[in-house]
Order: sequence, then structure tokens, then C-alpha cells
Amino acid sequence: MDLSWSAQDLEFRAEVRAFLDENLTPELRRAGRLTTSVYADHEASMAWQAILHQRGWAAPAWPIEHGGCAWTLTQHYIFSRESTLAGAPELSPMGIRMVAHAIIAFGTPAQQDYFLPRILTGEVFFCQGYSEPEAGSDLAALSMAAVDDGEDLVCTGSKIWTTHAGQANWIFALVRTSRSARKQHGITFVLIDMTTPGIEIRPLVMTSGEQIQNQIFFDAVRVPKANVIGAIDDGWTVAKYLLEFERGGGAMAPALQVMAESIAESAQRQPGPSGGILLDDPVFAAKLADARIRAEVLEILEYRVLAVVAAGGNPGADSSMLKILSTELSQEITELAMAAAGPRGRVYQPHATLPGGPVASFTPPADDYVSGEAWQAVATLRYLNDRAGSIYAGSNEIQRNILAKATLGL
Amino acid sequence: MNPEQDMVRVGLSRFLAARYSLDSSRAAAKTDPGWQPEIWRAFAEELGILGATLPESAGGSGGRGTEAMVISEELGRALVIEPFIDTVIVAGGLLARAGGKAATAVLAQVAAGSAIVALAATDADSGDRWDGLSTTAVCDGDDWLISGSKIVVIAAPLATHLLITARAADHDALFLTEFDATAPPGGLTVHAYRTIDDRRAADLVFDDVRLPAEALLQADAAPSLARARDEGAAAVCSEAVGAMRRVLADTVEYTKHRQQFGQPIGSFQVLAHRMVDMYMELQQAVSAVYLAVLNLDEEPDVRARAVSAAKATVGRAARFIGQNAVQLHGGMGMTEELAIGHYFKRLTALQYEFGSTDYHRARYATLTRPHDTQE
Repeated sequence: MDLSWSAQDLEFRAEVRAFLDENLTPELRRAGRLTTSVYADHEASMAWQAILHQRGWAAPAWPIEHGGCAWTLTQHYIFSRESTLAGAPELSPMGIRMVAHAIIAFGTPAQQDYFLPRILTGEVFFCQGYSEPEAGSDLAALSMAAVDDGEDLVCTGSKIWTTHAGQANWIFALVRTSRSARKQHGITFVLIDMTTPGIEIRPLVMTSGEQIQNQIFFDAVRVPKANVIGAIDDGWTVAKYLLEFERGGGAMAPALQVMAESIAESAQRQPGPSGGILLDDPVFAAKLADARIRAEVLEILEYRVLAVVAAGGNPGADSSMLKILSTELSQEITELAMAAAGPRGRVYQPHATLPGGPVASFTPPADDYVSGEAWQAVATLRYLNDRAGSIYAGSNEIQRNILAKATLGL
Repeated sequence: MNPEQDMVRVGLSRFLAARYSLDSSRAAAKTDPGWQPEIWRAFAEELGILGATLPESAGGSGGRGTEAMVISEELGRALVIEPFIDTVIVAGGLLARAGGKAATAVLAQVAAGSAIVALAATDADSGDRWDGLSTTAVCDGDDWLISGSKIVVIAAPLATHLLITARAADHDALFLTEFDATAPPGGLTVHAYRTIDDRRAADLVFDDVRLPAEALLQADAAPSLARARDEGAAAVCSEAVGAMRRVLADTVEYTKHRQQFGQPIGSFQVLAHRMVDMYMELQQAVSAVYLAVLNLDEEPDVRARAVSAAKATVGRAARFIGQNAVQLHGGMGMTEELAIGHYFKRLTALQYEFGSTDYHRARYATLTRPHDTQE
């Protein structure tokens, strides 16, 4: 494995940097910097997607015939890394990075022709309907009923933890079309138009006050069978394929490095617990160094896994390892940022941030006063929101089970 | 615990169970005035807890650390947001040690539930320390002029009185003044807000704020402030224990009922062991509180060592129990819909109150260095 970058790679990096430099407006960079969770401000995120789409870079990982880029693995990595370093807002993962891959791998030509271009332009914005109140870690226990009725499936049940359900006009969902001894069998992967009658959204208020997550109730919602992806009763195959996209092959390390580096910068301006500046406090300095070392090493580890993928291999359970390591490191880093914020980290001031959704029960001060600097307002909200990292996309306990079984053979 | 203390505990516990629901207290926190004044009055009039630790000369019952511990723990268990520790333990202790007519009169009002005292001790550039003050007080004729910036002054928006620390004549001095956040004196700007753990607080900017000569309560208040900070830390440790008892009980209950893979998730070994670790953290936290309370009246270094041991232990426990309670509740633990989300925020904030876990570990290390006997 060659970890150094070639002359062509460096040239590509210069091209990406020039593009980012020219197109990332101060507002977009601000949205990236003031983001309080893995979800950027919706408008900023869609605005950035439109700019990327114009350049043909909105979905570089897609096959070229659907609008992807003929990049080498290294180029993908460079693009993702440079975007993060420049402070670009994150794009919503649900469409481009998730359901699109299911449509590409399992969809009909008609489904591909309809959805893929519209996902790119943002005309179609997806949310994800997997978890149910009684089916979380045990996803295959899902029970939302889809009853066969001629041309349609009639869906009744509830989905929970649907990010951006209020902004989405489509949802990809797993529904129960039949029951058998093996619970993975009888699940179907469907695309549902959110304007169909019978759908009701209940926003969930998170500890950060943000309303990004939702519960959705479906009451006899008619879904044309033409919107089934893959075969009826065989949706688990599609879902498993997608879960690998959600968990692995990502490049989390650059974002973690950026966060840790900005803590170091801030800590130069913060008072330490025993006088002096915070960055000179030996305990804080050691913790920050530990986090930064982990982030640097994680970057190499991620790259090693990507190299397997690039060679046509399956990352398998290694994607579970990356998910555990990156989410737990992220939680450590957000906690360090909160500690660096000092007493002001305790002030609740979401108006100084750009959360990924509306904030409940909060009126900003008339004079827009902010105690301290914006990063101090962001820090604690990020810490609260980041607790989700070890819960979503298969809890870290589940990921450890996968590693124990698949990698160690236990 | 003696029978009187047990009576206080049982009475308070019953009162809170009947009159202090999480829903109503959070609703109060999120709308003005941000707290429940009628609950505070009941604390004074029906339960007498506001005077429990205050001197008899001020209408209190002269209780000590154990009373503070018993009361704080029950308040923590019910996640009470009203400023008992800030006003009664911290400010009350400062007023009692300062003595004098003005302080005693305010103490009597605290015991009666008619005064809320907030302590403005944290300077904008002092981190979470109370020493190394940059706020200054200078004489101007018979008056004092206060200038400086105080941050995250807990309970300031509801306070009737302020205690202010400022550097005067090479000492950390303590001033007392009446206060109304909606009508501050000339030169004082109040920026009020809510905290992540649903308290009301404010940043206060003093620009030559004029106070009369008699506002100076203590010219050299450093020893009293150090003690107040330790007593505040010890009380917060008790509050944390109350909150952690509730959080652990809720988590165990939740994992007994939540079914995944055809069985209660609490039956999975990895989760069972996690909860056993939470239980052991809690038991260490309870013991650490005893260690602090038993030493509160000792010499400053002995007191500080015990309090630092307690705050470091409780901070570690609050972090572990809070984070894992959220993890074991899954997504629901991250919402405002269950109690756990609210308790988690308090267990997070209190790790940094009255000195962070790291600060107390460092202070403990300093206080326990072997004496150098070589010349």
C-alpha cells in the first residue's frame, strides 16, 4: 500500500482547493463551523449541494453513467479531506450517500431515471425509515405492516429517529410484507412519497432542544409496488447492503482532526484551571494530545480499509471497527471542547449556532447577546448531540458483537 | 444520620414527590420567571429547609454539613432547579461568616424564603476559579466603584441580593448589595439567560458601579470564599448522588422492560456489567460525600483535600453514570421526553461546578505532596 500522494494527486488537490476557495462563501463556511451535530443547517447544506452539482461533484462516488466522478480512491479521499478542512457544510447523507446506492444496485431503469437526477438536484430529498419504537438494535424485528392490495402496498405502523422528516419529500423505508420463522425474510424496501395521505410527523425534542429527529405515523398509506426496490420480501438484502455504506468506508478522521486542532487554538485563549492558559495545563494538554494522536492514526486505518475497497474487496466487519473508533473519538473530542469552553459552556445559547433543525422552547435575547465566543455556544450542544454517535447506525455494542463474531470468530 | 435529619429527609422527599414534578419544573424553567417561587416559599414555610443550615441568630436551626448533605441529595433526586446550594449553602455561609447587622438581616430573609442571594465570583478571564480576580473596587469618597465582568452568575435573574467579589486594597473583598435584574443600578449591565441544565443565570458587566461604604462585607474574604467553594462542591456532590440514584434506578428498570432480540436488553451480559459498574461508581460517590462532609469543619488543607477527593470521585461517577444511562436508553435517552435526558444535562453541568474533576484532581495532588525534609 502506497500512502504517499503522486504528482497527479497533488495536482488534483490543488484543483479541489481552488474550487473550494472560490465557491465556499463565508456564509457556507460559517454554517460548517457553527454546526451542532452531524447534520448541517438544511438550507446551507442544500445550497452547497447545488454548487457541487453544477461542478459535477455532488455525488463523486456514484458510477459515472449516473453522474459520479472517474476518480481514484485517493482522489475521493483528497476531495473529502479538503472539503472538511475548508469547512464545507456536510451534505445530507440520506439521499446521495445512502438510498441512491440501493437504487443504483437494485433499482429498475425507470426508478434510476426518475430518482437519481432528482436526488442530485435536491428536488427529491429523502429521509430514512428503518427504526421503529420496538425495533432499534434488533432492526429485523420491525413490524410496520405492508398489506398487498392489487397495484399497491398499504402501509400502517410507525417509524422513529427519522432525521429531517419535516424537510423530506420522500422516505425510504423497511416494511413487513410477510412473516416467517426467519424474521429477516418478509421485509420489503420501499420508497414512499411523503405527501401521500395518511402520514403524520411528530417532531422529537432532543436534549440540545433541537428538533431534527421525528417519529412518523403511517395510517393505511398506499405505496405503488412500482416503488419497491429489489424484490418484495427481500428488502433485508438491500438494507444490509446500505448499512455497509452507512457504517464504513468513510473518512471521519479529517473532521476529527479539524475539531481537535480548533480546540488547541481556542485553548490558547482560555484560562487554565490553576492559572495560566488552558493549553499549558498538563492534564488538558495530555488529553488533547491523546485525541489528536488517535485521530492521526485513525486516518491511516481508514485509508487502509479504503484500500481494500478500492481493490474490489469487502470491508466487512472492519467497517464496524471504524464506526466504533470514529464515534467514540468524536465523543471524546466534543467533551474536550466543552471542557475548554469553561463556565460559558454551561450557557444555553443556540442562537449563536446553526443547528440542523428548529429549536424548541427558546427565545433569543432581544440584543442577540452571546456569552463568550460562538464556539463556546456550539461546544456543549455538540457534546449533547454527539452522544448519538454510539447509538445510531447499529449501537457500538452491536458493532462489537459483529467484530467478535466475524473477525475473531468468537 | 440522627432522627431529626431523617425527619428532614422523609419530609422533603414526600413534599417533592407530591408537589415537584419534572414536567412542571421544566415548563417553569422554560418560561418566565424561570423557577417556581411558590415552591421556594413552601421550602421555607412548610419544610423549614432554607434555615436548616443557617445560624440560630438569623432564625435558622444551626445545622451543619450533614443537614446540607441530606437536603441536597433529595433536591438532586427530584432535579430541583431552585438555587438552594447557591443561595443557602454558598451565599448563606459567606453571610454567616461575615456577620454584622446587614448580613444577619439578609440571612433572616433567606431563612424565611423572602431573599434569593446570588454570588458573582467568576471573572470573565479567570476560568472557573474564584481567585486571581480582575474585577476591582476602588474608593471614591465614601463610596466604592466596582468595575469588571462576571460570568455565569447562577440565580442572578431571580436574586434579591448580590454578593460580589472584587479586588480592593490588595485583597479579595466581598460586597453585598440589594439587586433586581430588571432594574440594575447605573453602570451595571445584566445579560440574563438559561443554562443547559435549566437554571437561570446572567453575565454581569460592572462599569464604575457605585456602592455605599457599608456594602463592603469583608475586606479580606479569601479564606471565607475558599470555604464557601468547598461547601458548595460538597453540596453539589450530594445533589449528584441523589440524581445518580434516580438515573441508575431508571436505567435498570428500562433495561428490564425493553425487549430486543426476544429478551430484555438488561439480560445481555455487556449491559448487565455496565450497570454493575454504574452501581459501583454510585457507591463510591456516596462514600466520597461522607468523606467530604466529615471534614468540612477541619483545617482548610484537610477540608480541601477531602472535598477534592469527593468532587473528583463524584465527577467521575456523574460522567460514567450519565453517559452510560443515555447509551442504555438508546435514542430515547437523548430526548426531552424521558427523565434521563434532563438528568444527564445536570450530571454534565455539575462536573464543572465549584471546580472541575481535573481541577480537583490537581488540587489533591498538590495537597498530598510529601513534605520535603531535606535542606
